[in-house]
Amino acid sequence: MIKIDEEQLTEIKRHAEVEYPHECCGLLIGRIEDNGRTRIVSATYPVKNSWEASPQHDRMLIAPIDYARAERESSKKGLGVVGDYHSHPDHPAVPSQFDLEHSPWPTMSYIVVSVREGQAAELRSWEIAEDHSKFNEEEIVKGS
Amino acid sequence: MPLTITIPTALRQYAGGNSEIEVEAKTAGEALEQLTTRHAELRKHLYNDQNRLRNFVTVYVNDEDIRYLNGPDTPIKDGDTVMIVPAIAGGATTAENVAAPHASTAEFPQLSHEEIARYSRHLIMPEVGMEGQRKLKAARVLMIGTGGLGAPLGMYLAAAGVGTLGLVDFDVVDESNLQRQIVHGTKDVGRLKIESARDRLSDINPLINIETHNTRLTSENALELFREYDIVADGTDNFPTRYLVNDACVLTGKPNVYGSIFRFEGQASVFWANADGGRGACYRCLYPEPPPPGLVPSCAEGGVLGVLPGIVGAIQANEAIKLILGDGEPLINRLLLFDAWKMRFRELKLRRDPACPICGENATIKELIDYEEFCGLKPQPTAEQLAQASGQEQMPEITATELKERLEHGADIQIIDVREPHEYEIARIPQTKLIPLGQVVGRIAEIDPERETVVHCKGGGRSAKAIEDLKRAGFTGRLINLKGGITAWSTEVDPSVPKY
Repeated sequence: MIKIDEEQLTEIKRHAEVEYPHECCGLLIGRIEDNGRTRIVSATYPVKNSWEASPQHDRMLIAPIDYARAERESSKKGLGVVGDYHSHPDHPAVPSQFDLEHSPWPTMSYIVVSVREGQAAELRSWEIAEDHSKFNEEEIVKGS
Repeated sequence: MPLTITIPTALRQYAGGNSEIEVEAKTAGEALEQLTTRHAELRKHLYNDQNRLRNFVTVYVNDEDIRYLNGPDTPIKDGDTVMIVPAIAGGATTAENVAAPHASTAEFPQLSHEEIARYSRHLIMPEVGMEGQRKLKAARVLMIGTGGLGAPLGMYLAAAGVGTLGLVDFDVVDESNLQRQIVHGTKDVGRLKIESARDRLSDINPLINIETHNTRLTSENALELFREYDIVADGTDNFPTRYLVNDACVLTGKPNVYGSIFRFEGQASVFWANADGGRGACYRCLYPEPPPPGLVPSCAEGGVLGVLPGIVGAIQANEAIKLILGDGEPLINRLLLFDAWKMRFRELKLRRDPACPICGENATIKELIDYEEFCGLKPQPTAEQLAQASGQEQMPEITATELKERLEHGADIQIIDVREPHEYEIARIPQTKLIPLGQVVGRIAEIDPERETVVHCKGGGRSAKAIEDLKRAGFTGRLINLKGGITAWSTEVDPSVPKY
């Protein structure tokens, strides 16, 4: 389960629209509770898409250095990286096989937002199975 | 050395809830080993089944990624900090540069024991591995032409285990092909190229399917044919077919693994408009217009070093395999130039042309066109027809048999050979004078206008041109073209004169 405010969801959608037709990406900052089963997001952390070659349209990469920075900065407030988000321009908000092979850990949330012709459409959140074999959709509980 | 390992938030629950853990180690690898020994649950989230760090896991010693230091052997100093961080990658759908239209690994066919044994040198490389070999087995590659380029291309793709190879050709094996088209043998002279190639390829690898298409590729059949395959490899030797292959690839969204050769120089690239999110250049982005007919001679006219297609065709095979694996750095938006004489490779960057008539933003070509016409190769009226139409005298011709008879009857004829000196070295008609076409007007004084003159070349084309040039330059004597050139002389009169 992911608990996230409408405000953060709006930020993610706006970021996705700004980067369209390219993929946007960012990290989710917050706390992990309930033995790794619940993420409580308190901020988004937009990151530059570091995919080196040209196909940014359908690829995103969050560089480890950006992840490390986000982790370090948020640790001062007792928070940390609890997930990531990225957009799928003109594709459904469903994680791809590629996402599965390149997403880290079962304790994290993976938000995918679909952007259709420049407009953010559906937004869904996923978590990876304990054995890394597949994604399961998770419930989004909206805060204030 | 005592050191601190920083645990990312997402992994803390596997590390007893700690954000930092102190261990004693001399290297980064040792530090991780100690950490995962103490917190066994962490292990499966950091290492894969083969006990290697998962591909997204990055380890920093202080602020340096250990991949750029000494990897796991990176030494640790007192008080250093080791940090574990992931790189997160993602992407929409399955739109990797993977040509085979299979969404997931599960759809790729399994390998038999026989195949596992055969492809072992592929399987032991992680870049190919079982998954890659299964992708190769699932792949369908269409080869246009089974000549110089198609020979190594087909042989390596067959050997590599590409599951289905389609061969398109309409030609027959000729003796002059054997100098470079190594898929065919001496015993195959006179056979259909696709049949000869099929036999050789099935001998290399009986575990693959070979589909033969005994036809000329045309605007009528290309789209239907291309739709059946994942990748098209262009091994053609002429411009109309090259543009046809390009356009049909763009229209069907298939990658075009391109190679071309001439004399000592070769080119290779991967033209794929759909690549990189629709930013791949096509052949027309590179060459919007074909060269004027006749400017660039074919291999039959200009010659080609036999090894050259071997090198270029092997590069095409290499690129096709990478496209199937969906990995490595394909020649997309890169044109590779190779000079076998100087032994140099060069590379040019290519860009999608936004104004390209077939893959650009406002493409005007929506269907296949007449490529012979596009390349200016529609049968032009012959010199004779033109002469007749304008009421001029037709160019006089003589057959090889007639020439022989007249010479035997003592006719006073001078024969001018307008070929090049190296051709004269190969074969010649006795009692001829060599004046290469390019020199014929400058050396007009060497031709006696009082005598009857027969002009010849290899096939009759250049000699007709020489006659026109001489007339235009004011030559007054009688000029006769030898029909079919020295080739006809060899066929009709003297088989001891070799054909080339």
